[in-house]
Amino acid sequence: MAVAGAPRRSLSERALGFVLLAPAAALLLAIVVYPIAQLVWNSFFDIHLAEPWKGEPFIGLDNYRRALEDPRFWSSLGHTAIYAIVTVPGALLVGLGLALLANMPFRHKWPVRLGLLLPWALPLVFSGLIFRWFFEYRQGIVNDLLTRAGIEPLAWLTDPGLARTSICIAIVWKSSSFMALMLLAGLQTIPRELYEAAEVDGATRWQRFVSITLPMLRPAIFVALIFRTITAIQTFDIPYAMTGGGPGDSTETLAMYIQKTTLDFLDFGYGSALAALMFVVSMVATSSYLRYTRRSAGRD
Amino acid sequence: MKTLRILLVAVTSMALAATAAAETTLRIFIGGQQRPDVMRKVADEYQQKNKGVKVEIEVGGATSEAQQQYLNTVLASKDSVLDVILIDVIRPAQWAAAGWAEPLDGYLGADKAKLLPTYLKAYQDADQVDGKVVALPFFADAQFLYYRKDLLEKYKRPVPKTWDELMETAQIITKGENNPQLQGFSTAGAPIEGTVCTYLVPLWGAGGEFIRNGKPNLDSPEARKPFELMGRLKVAGVLPKNIGEIATDRIRVDFQAGNVVFAQNWGYFWNRVENDADTKVKGKVGVTTLPADKGGKSATCIGGWQLAVSAYSKNKAEAVKFVRWLSSPEVSRTMAVLASNLPVFPQVYKDADVLKANPWFADALPVVEGAKSRPVTPRYTEVSDAIRTNMNAYLSGTKTTDTALADMKSRLAAVYR
Repeated sequence: MAVAGAPRRSLSERALGFVLLAPAAALLLAIVVYPIAQLVWNSFFDIHLAEPWKGEPFIGLDNYRRALEDPRFWSSLGHTAIYAIVTVPGALLVGLGLALLANMPFRHKWPVRLGLLLPWALPLVFSGLIFRWFFEYRQGIVNDLLTRAGIEPLAWLTDPGLARTSICIAIVWKSSSFMALMLLAGLQTIPRELYEAAEVDGATRWQRFVSITLPMLRPAIFVALIFRTITAIQTFDIPYAMTGGGPGDSTETLAMYIQKTTLDFLDFGYGSALAALMFVVSMVATSSYLRYTRRSAGRD
Repeated sequence: MKTLRILLVAVTSMALAATAAAETTLRIFIGGQQRPDVMRKVADEYQQKNKGVKVEIEVGGATSEAQQQYLNTVLASKDSVLDVILIDVIRPAQWAAAGWAEPLDGYLGADKAKLLPTYLKAYQDADQVDGKVVALPFFADAQFLYYRKDLLEKYKRPVPKTWDELMETAQIITKGENNPQLQGFSTAGAPIEGTVCTYLVPLWGAGGEFIRNGKPNLDSPEARKPFELMGRLKVAGVLPKNIGEIATDRIRVDFQAGNVVFAQNWGYFWNRVENDADTKVKGKVGVTTLPADKGGKSATCIGGWQLAVSAYSKNKAEAVKFVRWLSSPEVSRTMAVLASNLPVFPQVYKDADVLKANPWFADALPVVEGAKSRPVTPRYTEVSDAIRTNMNAYLSGTKTTDTALADMKSRLAAVYR
């Protein structure tokens, strides 16, 4: 009897499991799967709210074809790539430095932690505005310092190269504190004994960093890199607040172009196709990280 | 059964209480730069005259684009939260096409034929799309040339009539003053709506047209004029070096700090540079028409703000009543005195109180009457983006006249098919 009862009980446990998961699954379906499906669906139609008399005809892959032929899509994608390639490693390096600093045995830990948290806690657009003031031509603090040093002021926000540089600086400042927080958490899981043993064996500071800290920190670094890369691909607020995409479109990111197409131009069909393409880009970027972590995990 | 009866009584009495306190709340949306403080005063007056109506003011972003971005999300989702919305003169075509503005013809009835001719002609046209009244005008606007009267007198220079005169005078004054902060001429150059007028005003001033026979007219020699003019002003050091980051209100801030000789800006400018607590140029400001080409005719961009009733409002009749009151000579007068908003009724320009607050309104009427419209199309935001991003790129030195015009043309081709 007991033998027959066992599978029945496990079945009802399974059922209970489904029941317990159902609310979360339903919520995810409603707020994640449904909007994404709707977005992909919209990308196959010509939906332009400023021209409702055209109706919303099905146009297959035309929106995607249009994107591939649209120079503005490629240039905004290129700018996004520049920001990602510069600011992901940039924020990692600065963040690692900050984390090591914050992990040092201070008597008062809270001012250091607060300093780390502050840039992360500021709204993105707010940081963008602060840096716009820094780099402003006439009243900016950066040009003020340059003039005091006897150097001609620079057009930080109206020269494409300088504008991208200023934006990268702002992004690194803003995002390295998040990196630092994640890495600090990783640092604190490294057992003290390892360092003590290494010290007894006569390892130098640098050797300890390379052979203990970095390998032990690797999982935290990967998680931080994945998060940072995804947000880098979605870069919007900081360039939006600092330059509005200018001069011309030379600092416009893909996310800004999507926002403009959808919310300014009301071209919902094309905007949806651009957003779907951005989704593909971030899937490709993150899956390559995941593949790398899986491979290196297998090697260990 | 007994509980049911109690419940029923409770529900009915609640419903009765609700009807007894019936009060219509109208929510009006107004931009941060359109003096919500003055709107509050006007709305308070309306509330006193109309018991049972409460007016709430929602203050939006400080630029036309920021406001429209927000409104696009509210209206595309058919949200009923807003009843009355103040919209830019460039929007009615888009709003009519999208079906966001409640057509007012039915509410105006026989009054329509009487009411419309009382407004300035430009606004009768701007607020009717395909014969339907989409909105009613709230205040007029146009771009003017503001100048430093004191500096012109000091250097004995006349008020410039042509761009060449403006350039010469600006150079003489900036050289003579020897103040590195002093800019000769400032106008919008950032990638914002105002920069569209920075392109169109010199184009019109040279006798050009942006749209001819329903298509962009960018192969004409006049289409190159704005680039050539701004290029000359930039090389001569008359334009600020950072013209590519100058937005509309930034010009005002620089001007009232005493750092600009000539400025191209809208009507609100006067009240701020003359009356703000921190202004350094009080009593030193002159206003005139924008310069033209030699032998050309001065032209300007028409602006102004329109009152639309949301198609999704739940209080349309009350909202239309409020809009009709706001769009009256009486309120127009108040707005002119308190906010230097240009009136939409010709007779208000001659009102004694209005002229006392804004002596230059006497000469402003012909300017507003002669002001030209930016291209009218439901896809105006795309047209605007094509003009302003290319003008901004040119002013920042990243595009030449040829590349800017070619890029403008290819982007506009998608809109004007």
